[in-house]
Amino acid sequence: MAGLYIPVLLHFVAVVVLASALLGLSWWVGVKRPTREKLSPYECGIPPVGNARERFSVSFYLVGMLFILFDVEAVFLYPWAVVFKSLKWFGFVEMFLYIAILLAGYIYIWKKGALEWTR
Amino acid sequence: MSWFTEHSLTIVTFFPLLGAVVIAFLGRDRTSSVRWVALLCTLLTFLMTVWLYFEFDSHRAGMQFEEFRIWMVLPPVNYHLGVDGLSLLLILLTGFLTPLSVLVSWSSITHRTKEFFLFLLALETGMIGVFASLDLVLFFVFWEVMLIPMYFLIGIWGHERRVYAAVKFILYTMTGSALMLAGILYLYNLTGTFDLPQVLDHLTTTSLLSPPAERWLFLAFFVAFAIKVPLFPFHTWLPDAHVEAPTAGSVILAGVLLKMGTYGMLRFCLPLFPEASRDFAPIVCALAIIGIIYGALVAMVQPDLKKLVAYSSVAHLGFCVLGIFVFNAQGMEGSIYQMFSHGVSTGALFMLVGMLYDRRHTRLISEFGGLATSVPVYSTFFLIVTLSSLGLPMLNGFVGEFLIIVGSYHSRALYAALAAAGVVLAAVYLLWMYQRVFYGDITNEKNRTLPDCNLREKLILTIVVVVIVAMGVYPQPFLRRMDQSVASILQRVEKRTLLFTERAPAGHLGAGR
Amino acid sequence: MITLQTADLVRILPEIVLSIFGILVMVLEPFVAAAQKKLLGWMALLGVLAAATATVRTSFEPGLAFGGTIAADEFSIYFIYLFLLTAGLVILGSIDYLERNHAQHGEFYALVLLGTVGMCFMAASTDLIMIFLGLEISSISTYILAGFRRADRLSNEAALKYFLLGSFATAFFLYGIAFVYGLTGTTNLLGLSARLMEPSQWTTFARVALVLMFVGLAFKLSTVPFQVWTPDVYQGAPAPVTAFLSVGPKAAAFAVLLRLFLGGFASAGTVSFWILWISAALTMCLGNLAALWQTNVKRLLAYSSIAHAGYILVGVAAGGSRGISAVLFYLVAYALMNVGAFIMVAHLSGTGERLVQIEDYTGLAFERPGVAACLAVFFLSLAGFPTTAGFLGKFYVFRAAIHSHLIGLTVLALLNSVVSVYYYLRIVVAMYMREGKTEAATVELPWPVRTALAVSVLGIFYLGLAPKLPLGLSTLAALPLPK
Repeated sequence: MAGLYIPVLLHFVAVVVLASALLGLSWWVGVKRPTREKLSPYECGIPPVGNARERFSVSFYLVGMLFILFDVEAVFLYPWAVVFKSLKWFGFVEMFLYIAILLAGYIYIWKKGALEWTR
Repeated sequence: MSWFTEHSLTIVTFFPLLGAVVIAFLGRDRTSSVRWVALLCTLLTFLMTVWLYFEFDSHRAGMQFEEFRIWMVLPPVNYHLGVDGLSLLLILLTGFLTPLSVLVSWSSITHRTKEFFLFLLALETGMIGVFASLDLVLFFVFWEVMLIPMYFLIGIWGHERRVYAAVKFILYTMTGSALMLAGILYLYNLTGTFDLPQVLDHLTTTSLLSPPAERWLFLAFFVAFAIKVPLFPFHTWLPDAHVEAPTAGSVILAGVLLKMGTYGMLRFCLPLFPEASRDFAPIVCALAIIGIIYGALVAMVQPDLKKLVAYSSVAHLGFCVLGIFVFNAQGMEGSIYQMFSHGVSTGALFMLVGMLYDRRHTRLISEFGGLATSVPVYSTFFLIVTLSSLGLPMLNGFVGEFLIIVGSYHSRALYAALAAAGVVLAAVYLLWMYQRVFYGDITNEKNRTLPDCNLREKLILTIVVVVIVAMGVYPQPFLRRMDQSVASILQRVEKRTLLFTERAPAGHLGAGR
Repeated sequence: MITLQTADLVRILPEIVLSIFGILVMVLEPFVAAAQKKLLGWMALLGVLAAATATVRTSFEPGLAFGGTIAADEFSIYFIYLFLLTAGLVILGSIDYLERNHAQHGEFYALVLLGTVGMCFMAASTDLIMIFLGLEISSISTYILAGFRRADRLSNEAALKYFLLGSFATAFFLYGIAFVYGLTGTTNLLGLSARLMEPSQWTTFARVALVLMFVGLAFKLSTVPFQVWTPDVYQGAPAPVTAFLSVGPKAAAFAVLLRLFLGGFASAGTVSFWILWISAALTMCLGNLAALWQTNVKRLLAYSSIAHAGYILVGVAAGGSRGISAVLFYLVAYALMNVGAFIMVAHLSGTGERLVQIEDYTGLAFERPGVAACLAVFFLSLAGFPTTAGFLGKFYVFRAAIHSHLIGLTVLALLNSVVSVYYYLRIVVAMYMREGKTEAATVELPWPVRTALAVSVLGIFYLGLAPKLPLGLSTLAALPLPK
């Protein structure tokens, strides 16, 4: 029984060995001549301005999260599209309910003002 | 009337609770009606217990006034009540002491009066229920429920260290009863019933119980009862509880609650586990005798009157346990008689100490002296009760102690000798205490102007003294009622190993005096 | 081709009704004026009642639904009623609490309802994946509820702790499911027990799977050593939420534990037996010993709920129809007394939960005799005094344990309950035996709270004095599980 898992184990070992070998080799073989410019953080080729620890509006997070939520739910529509024919009306009703629940959530966040940028 | 006869035990048990409910609906400020309801209710209960006492057929063995109702089906727990000679006397004692406790608290309980009498009445229901239950679970329910009102009585109306004493009291008792519950469940698992008569039948007709199991079960039950009695190494809760409790609490505690331990031994330990009882008898007797001597010695050096009485209880209850575990009719009847008479005389002692405390707010012996001149009536009552407690012939304490010593002599002469030494020691500490408190010159000026007993107190004490004398002069009616029960308990214990051949019913002994 | 029968829907009717009401409450919340938010609470209560009615309909059509992943049997219906009772009492106890703490948001009720949906699914599922889904639904709702006092740091800490450790626990559970699926090729409990019939099939892997799933559940049950989150979360969460947390997810986890350990994994025998034995013993002892030192009533009740999980585990370890029905009875008793106690604590604590120390109850009995008597009943019942539900719960559990010859464990449990008497009485001592005036005596108990408390107290005495019917129901509910 446990023998079945040996390939998986070998795979793990191979991954670890390969990854550490690549990283280790490049570190060992590579030539290191650090200069001030080389050590500064890369920012699209432009010299960095100001402090990196800046405060963001919490609205970014909120919108970000909401986007992910609705985006992920939308993904479920694709597999439905693939088996649309074989699911027939059952699938249609199910999907309708699913979207209705999503819609309820959408109305909720809209009314709550989660989509207003300035409040 | 027939309805009453059929349900007499239920009515007697729950009548005080009814009173408690009535009190619960009375206004907080109506203290005098609360008192009167409590008194009336307990008096009626007492009258009903007296009725039970006279209706009881002393020629019949087995339970009387039985009531049986199904409470739970699976597991089969039943509401099964019944009394035999043993429980009858203890119910009578409970009925007798509770109205006296109400009277004693009449004017000494001034705050939260309503709650006080409510708890006192609830307590009475619990106590009667314990003595009347014939179902192991029902017994356990009453046994535990009764703790709560007592806990509140000590904890709310007690003295300085009341909370400590109340918690100690409840934890000690519950530790014992936890083990007992395990024992009850184990017995149920063997026999399939919680009904005491049925369990007894199963255990006698079959050999379900292996000797080691029997010994464990005996210990599980015995420890619970030994804590309650309290037998020597388990007694440490008692002085605290007694000293801290209000007078009525001490009276009930000494008068009734301690008897639940010895009652339990007679009702459960001996009949259910006869072999184990015999096996452990020497140890138990030794502990009882240690209790007698130790209680007396410690009582002797107490500076506090209430503590002295508390330790005297340890000694007196030692006698009761000794009487039970010598396995003969004299010892056992003496023990039951001693339970009753200790309830009356120690209860009375606590009342007397309480009356003194109400006047002086101290219980230290050194604070008193020469009271005989300032409060002559009180001193006379105190003397009679003291004499009864130390076992003077013609008073109630003598009958029980005498029978126990005779019984233990039959079993082993050494027991009798040591127990008799305990009687002597009791005389020493009680009389010495009496001398220091009542004789001599008045050393403390406050004692010179003490008011003597008022009418209420005289009434209480007269009743008690009448009972003390009556029980000492004519013990026959009490003894007659327990004959059959004692015989049947002994029969169980001796069934397999007939060690003790002479079985003169102790009733005749009692009559002989 | 998937077909859906009406029977399938009827068998999850309570969950459907609860979900509809939950979503409705949530969507309506922004449309309701701030002063009217109470209405949403009543609507949620209506939802609970509607679900209770729907459960009656479900009980007429018992059987498996959705390809054997859901079972509408006596067992699940018993639990659904238990969850509905809890949710109903919690909602009744919350409406005025939220008002007083300026946290009257409709989401609260929506989350309670949706959390209840998750618990119902946990109890009703006969498939590991469905159980996991139920676990997640109930967990996510309760994570949010724990942090409902947003301005309070302790509440935030509670939510975060509960979330992190809860996700950790579900990960364990899921890992266990993966193992089981790898071993047997099925996630259905019936299929599982068919494939793990012989003790010889309990290889190391199978045992690891068993332990992993137990660990996952143990977090929800808060058994030692997975109880560390409990006191902090129970203390920080708003008290009505704590009432919900201490009963709902725990009972649901017990439902799963019973279905798994006495159903799917019944053949594991000694392994599962010793897991249960040891965690029962540790949980009782540690819960009780730690509770002795608490001065905060909510923390004290948290440790007491740990200890109670230990007593219930004794019943699970005992197994058999006696053990299961005892566990079921105990859970109802536990729900009544714990929810009652927490609701009372919630309302005595004043605005912002300031009065939650034992000394805050000093002298309460003589200012507010009714309130103190109520609280005393809850604590005496938790301590297991006769005539209360707590006593009979313990009595049945220990009877089952003795029947299964767990004498050592029973004696340990009994001694533990003596220890517990000490700390339960500390509150009684404060209320009845210490003099003083307390601010807690000034709080008002509005009628919904009084109703919830009255239901709890009457329920406690009903179960404690006339247990014929509830005991019959719990015996009936134990039938679907294999013996």
